[in-house]
Amino acid sequence: MGNVLHGFFQSTKAAMLAITAHGMRSALTTLGIIIGVAAVITVVAIMESLSTTITDQLDDLGSDMVTLQAHTNPEQEMLGQSNKLSYDDFLLLKAKTNNVSDMTATMRAFSLGTSVQYGRSNTQTQIIGTDSSYQRVINTYPELGRFLSESDDLRRRRVAFIGSSVAEKLNMPSDPTGEFINLSGDWFRVIGLAEKRGKLFGFDQDNYIIAPFSTIRSLNGSQVTDNIDIMFRPSKGASLDKIKAQMSQILRQKHKLSGDDVDHFKFVTAEKTKKQFAEITTAVTLVAGGVVSISLLVGGIGIMNIMLVSVTERTKEIGIAKALGATPQFILFQFLVEALILSLLGGIIGLAIGYGLAAMVAMFMPGDGGIMVPMWAIILSLGFTTAIGVVFGLAPAIKASKLNPVDALRYE
Amino acid sequence: MSQPVKDSVIVLKDITKNYKMADQLFCALDGINLTIKRNEYVAITGPSGSGKSTLMNVLGCLDNPSSGQYLLGQKDVASQSEAELAKIRNYGVGFIFQSFNLLPRSSVLNNVMHPLIYRIMTNKKREALARNALKRVGLSDKIESLPNQLSGGQRQRVAIARALVTNPAIILGDEPTGNLDSKTTADIMALFDELHEQGHTIILVTHEAEIAHHCHRVIRLVDGEVESDITNAIEEPKEFVHG
Ligand SMILES: Nc1ncnc2c1ncn2[C@@H]1O[C@H](COP(=O)(O)OP(=O)(O)OP(=O)(O)O)[C@@H](O)[C@H]1O
Ligand SMILES: [Mg+2]
Repeated sequence: MGNVLHGFFQSTKAAMLAITAHGMRSALTTLGIIIGVAAVITVVAIMESLSTTITDQLDDLGSDMVTLQAHTNPEQEMLGQSNKLSYDDFLLLKAKTNNVSDMTATMRAFSLGTSVQYGRSNTQTQIIGTDSSYQRVINTYPELGRFLSESDDLRRRRVAFIGSSVAEKLNMPSDPTGEFINLSGDWFRVIGLAEKRGKLFGFDQDNYIIAPFSTIRSLNGSQVTDNIDIMFRPSKGASLDKIKAQMSQILRQKHKLSGDDVDHFKFVTAEKTKKQFAEITTAVTLVAGGVVSISLLVGGIGIMNIMLVSVTERTKEIGIAKALGATPQFILFQFLVEALILSLLGGIIGLAIGYGLAAMVAMFMPGDGGIMVPMWAIILSLGFTTAIGVVFGLAPAIKASKLNPVDALRYE
Repeated sequence: MSQPVKDSVIVLKDITKNYKMADQLFCALDGINLTIKRNEYVAITGPSGSGKSTLMNVLGCLDNPSSGQYLLGQKDVASQSEAELAKIRNYGVGFIFQSFNLLPRSSVLNNVMHPLIYRIMTNKKREALARNALKRVGLSDKIESLPNQLSGGQRQRVAIARALVTNPAIILGDEPTGNLDSKTTADIMALFDELHEQGHTIILVTHEAEIAHHCHRVIRLVDGEVESDITNAIEEPKEFVHG
C-alpha cells in the first residue's frame, strides 16, 4: 500500500517536472482541449442564458394565460365556412365559467387598418380593442399615464394606450400622454404609455395600440360579425382541464354542435409556446454540443500525438529511469498523469475562457446580460477532458513503459 | 572451475548475444561461461568491440542475452518479471555507464538522487545519501551544476556517485576511470578498494593494464569469447599507483 502511494506521489512529481520543463510544448498541447472546452462552455452558457431570458419574457407575458380563439378546420374552410367567436359568446362565458380570475375580450380593429399617424410621422402597428381587465391578464402596465378604464369602454371613448415602439416611431415627446394620434381618419387621445418589453425572437413586443373594446367594435361597424379572442387566467389552484371542459360545453351548446361535430374554437396557452421553445433550445444545444465534442476529440488526438512525440523524444530519459530501477508501472503512471494533468489543465483554462467569451456575447443579447454556466456543463466538460487524458494518454504511456532499457539508452 | 555454488553471485552459462545487421547475424557474445563469487574484484579487458559493454549490459539486467542462462544470486534472470528486474536494477547492482547517461536537465544532486526516487524514504534522507556519495567522489562543490557544465571526468564521477548511492551488492563499472587523470583515477580506485573491503562485488571494464593488474582477477574478451581468465597473485600493492 505504501509502495503504491509512494509510486503515485513520485510519478506525479516526475510528470509535473516534465510538464514545467517543456512549458511551451505543454501549452500548445493543451490548446486543442482549451479551444474545445471553451467552445462547449460558450455555446452552452449562451443557449442557457438565452433560454432563461426568453422563458422569463414568456412568464412576463403570463405563462398561465390562456387564449380562446375561433378555429376553422381545413375541411370547413374548403366549404367556405369561417367560424367566429362573438361578443355574446364572451359574455356568456364570463357569466357562466367558474374558477377563472380575469377574463377579457380582444378584437382586431380591422376597419382602422394598421397605419397610425402623428404629426408628419406614420408607422404600421396592430390595433387591439379590449377592456380594462386586459392589463391583468397579459401583465401590461403603464409606464406613464394610465391603462383603459371601465368608463372608457362604457362611453366608447376614443382613447389609446400605446406601446413604446409606437411612440418612438412616431417621434412623440417623451411623455406622449395627452397627444392625439390618427388611426385612418379617426383621432384618438393617448392616455398611457406601456412599459417596454423588448424583443422576443426578433419580434417587437412593443408595437401595438390598445383602444376600448366598445370603441373598436362600433368603428368596425355592425355590418361585420364580431370575431373576438377571449383571454383568461385560471384562478390559483384551479384545474385548467376542468375549465376548458366547462367552456367547451358552454360553447358547443351555444353553437349548437352535436355529438361528433368538431369544435369551432381552440385554446392556446403560453405554456405550449414555452415547451416548444425549450425543445428548440435543447435541440440546438445538442447539435452544438455534438459539433463541439468533435473538436474536443481532435484536441484529445492532439494530446496523444504530442505525448507520443514526447515519449520518443524522452526515450533516453526513460531508458535511464528504467536502468536505475523504475518499474514499468512507474513509467506508465508518470506518462498517464502527465496526459491527465495536461488535459485537465486545458479543461480548466478552457472553462475560464468559455465563461469570459459567453459573458462578452451576453452583453449583446437581450435580457439582463447575466450569464450562467450550468453545473452539468462544467462536470461534463471536465469529465470529458479527464477521459480524454486517460484514453489518449494510455497508448503513449504503455509504449514508454514497455521500452527495453538498453534499446532506450541507445536512442539518440 | 568448481566453486561452491552457494558463494557464486553471478553464473553465466553459454551466454550469446546476436545482433541482426542487415540480413546477417553479428555475434557480439559467443558462448560466455563465467562464475563470479561474492566479494570478487574483477577486471574485464579486451580490444574495442570485443563485447565488454554488451556483457556488462547482460550482467546489469539491462539487456537480454540471445541464448544461454544467467543466474544472479542463484535466481534465473530470464524467469524474472519486469517489476522484479526493476528491483534488481535498483537494489542489486550499481551500474556505471561508459557514456555516463546522466539526465541533462537535472542538477548533479538530482541525478545522484534519481535511483532513490524508486525507494520509500524521505527526500531529506535521499539528499543526505546523495551528498555523501558526491563527497566520496570529490564533487561536493558541484552539487547544483548541470551535467553540461561539468568536465568529462567530473561527469564520470557523477555517474560513479549515482551507482554508489544505493549501496548495491554488485558494482558494475564500464570503464569508470576512462576520462580521469592519474590522480583522480587513484582516488576512485581507492574508493573501489574500500567498497571491496566492505564486501561489495566489483566488476570493472578497463583498457588500462595498471587497473587490470590492481584487480584480483582479469578476464580478457576477444571477439565475444573469453580468451583468458587469470587470478592475480595475492601479494600485490595495497595502494593503487598509476604508472
Ligand atoms: N545495438 C547493436 N547493434 C548492432 N551491433 C552492436 C550493437 N551493440 C553493439 N554491437 C556490436 O557488438 C560488438 C561489441 O560491442 P561492445 O559495445 O560490447 O564493445 P566493447 O567491447 O564495449 O568496445 P569498447 O571497448 O569500444 O567499448 C561491436 O562490434 C558492436 O559493433
Ligand atoms: Mg564498451
